[in-house]
Amino acid sequence: MPATRQAAPDQARTDADHAIEAIDLVRTYRTHTGVVRRKPLEVHAVRGVSFHVRPGELFGLLGPNGAGKTTTIKMLITLLLPTSGTARVMGHDVVTETTEVRKRIGYVFGGDRGLYDRVSALDNLRYFAELYGVDPAQQKPRIEALLDLVGLTGREKEKVEGYSRGMRQRLHIARGLLHDPEVVFMDEPSIGLDPVGARELRQTVQSLVDAGKTVLLTTHYMFEADALCDRIAVINAGRIVALGTGDDLKRGVANRTIVEIETFGVAPDAVERLRNDRDVIAVNTEERDQSQILLVQSEHGLSITQRLLGLLGETRVGKVVAREPTLEDAYVDLIASTSETDDAARAAAVAG
Amino acid sequence: MGTMRAMRLIWFVTWFNVRMLLTSEFFILTTFLTPLIFATLAFFLFKAGGATEGQTLLYVALGSGMMGVWSTTLFGCGGAIAWQRWEGTLELLVNAPSRYDYILAGQTFGAVVLGFYGIVATLAWGVLLFGMPLAATYPLILPISLAAAVLSLGALGMLIATTFVLYRHANALGNLLEYPIWLIAGLLVPIATLPFWVRPISWLLAPTWGMEAIRGAAIGTQAPWFAIAMCLVLAAVYYVAARVCLVYVIRKARRDATLSLQ
Repeated sequence: MPATRQAAPDQARTDADHAIEAIDLVRTYRTHTGVVRRKPLEVHAVRGVSFHVRPGELFGLLGPNGAGKTTTIKMLITLLLPTSGTARVMGHDVVTETTEVRKRIGYVFGGDRGLYDRVSALDNLRYFAELYGVDPAQQKPRIEALLDLVGLTGREKEKVEGYSRGMRQRLHIARGLLHDPEVVFMDEPSIGLDPVGARELRQTVQSLVDAGKTVLLTTHYMFEADALCDRIAVINAGRIVALGTGDDLKRGVANRTIVEIETFGVAPDAVERLRNDRDVIAVNTEERDQSQILLVQSEHGLSITQRLLGLLGETRVGKVVAREPTLEDAYVDLIASTSETDDAARAAAVAG
Repeated sequence: MGTMRAMRLIWFVTWFNVRMLLTSEFFILTTFLTPLIFATLAFFLFKAGGATEGQTLLYVALGSGMMGVWSTTLFGCGGAIAWQRWEGTLELLVNAPSRYDYILAGQTFGAVVLGFYGIVATLAWGVLLFGMPLAATYPLILPISLAAAVLSLGALGMLIATTFVLYRHANALGNLLEYPIWLIAGLLVPIATLPFWVRPISWLLAPTWGMEAIRGAAIGTQAPWFAIAMCLVLAAVYYVAARVCLVYVIRKARRDATLSLQ
């Protein structure tokens, strides 16, 4: 088990020096199932998240879909009330001092929504500049500077409905920075972008940090978190399961070797046989076009390869490669192991 | 936020909302054509009933125009918020550092101001097609009546709009309020012809007094000052009620996570 996982997720301090503090944040959604016979249903999206972000830090919140990343961000930007727990941004409480928090933050959500499609980018920025209280004398130069920053100069008079996803995303960033916020929240900003667009976006994010802003970035792209973030919190099923630098997280799997086995039509029971092997720590499967890549983690390098192939039985096997673990392996291992723990806890609760 | 800053914000949001509404073909169609259809039907109905006097036709034209204003107010306020919810901009507006009641006021007044086109259109329609005489009894008071009506309808629209912020299906409420208000507020037939128990409801409605103020100044049915004063009182009451409701509505929306639901 990696050392970072054994420690408490983060010692939530109450120093005023912290740009962002989250202390035992919990968020439960109450909904219902059925139409005629409604049954109340509680969804525990965030279950006691604590961390802090230092001023000027680029902090990553990494987790799979539904892990609680967006809910955590929405509580921090005052869009949602926490069910319990507290959070502060630049020393202001997100529940009771919403206006003070909102003046100091900008946020950028990934995806197509959040813009007025039927008017130009310039109209969108002018409108939000007014709503965000940008000094009228400063609006024009500020908007020009931001259009330049996100590479939309020359396209600003076109209607947003004609923009590509990458252009929309860049416009989102410009909107989020209009009032020169001290803290910027970015929720999966690179989602749906092509590789070039995603790289440009990462450069923009880096330039924000270089300019002294604090950035909280959520993503489920490991390489993005690894390349950008000073520290990363891995969140799964509403809980932080690891927190540290990318190297800290990788250290958890440093003594392991990943054996990649290319298979064609591997059966689930064959994968299960691998998992049950005494020397195998974890097995993950990646689907490719015609094949499945089995990623087998162990501490024995290639020495157990023959036994692993034997366990696959009649399965057609292609290339077999051994390599050093990456942050992605550490992440997958964390998510897989904490999901198993959660499943076991749920099963125990049901049995109890 | 200072007064000048607040005024600038409301003006800016009003202007932006007018632009946004004018990009919707559906809104243009309903706002620009519906009052003319109402006016045509009403002119023929009244003529069939033997009412051919110029004053009666003016009464009808103003009533038809006001029906259009009310429809535009409902659609402009509710429709704009439903559209923002769908576009994902509603949560950005509610979560902006500026006061949301100012933003909502600007949006509402944008719709109401556009709606007042209906009055101009029905008057022109009456003059051109039905030979209606166009002469106001108190021409200097008429602009004041119009301004008071805009203010009170805008404030009522703002109060109604608070429900649209909270509930995604509040459009149904908007549709429900359209026809009854035409009747209860005396836009088409005088309130005096309605059952006695309906009249107190009429007195609580901005369109009632807005209509009284405009008809009073245009036709001289009665002195318009009382109606103008009632418009201003109701506008203040609606605005305060809307602000109180917004505090509750926004807190509930943050608790129930409804702002981003489509």
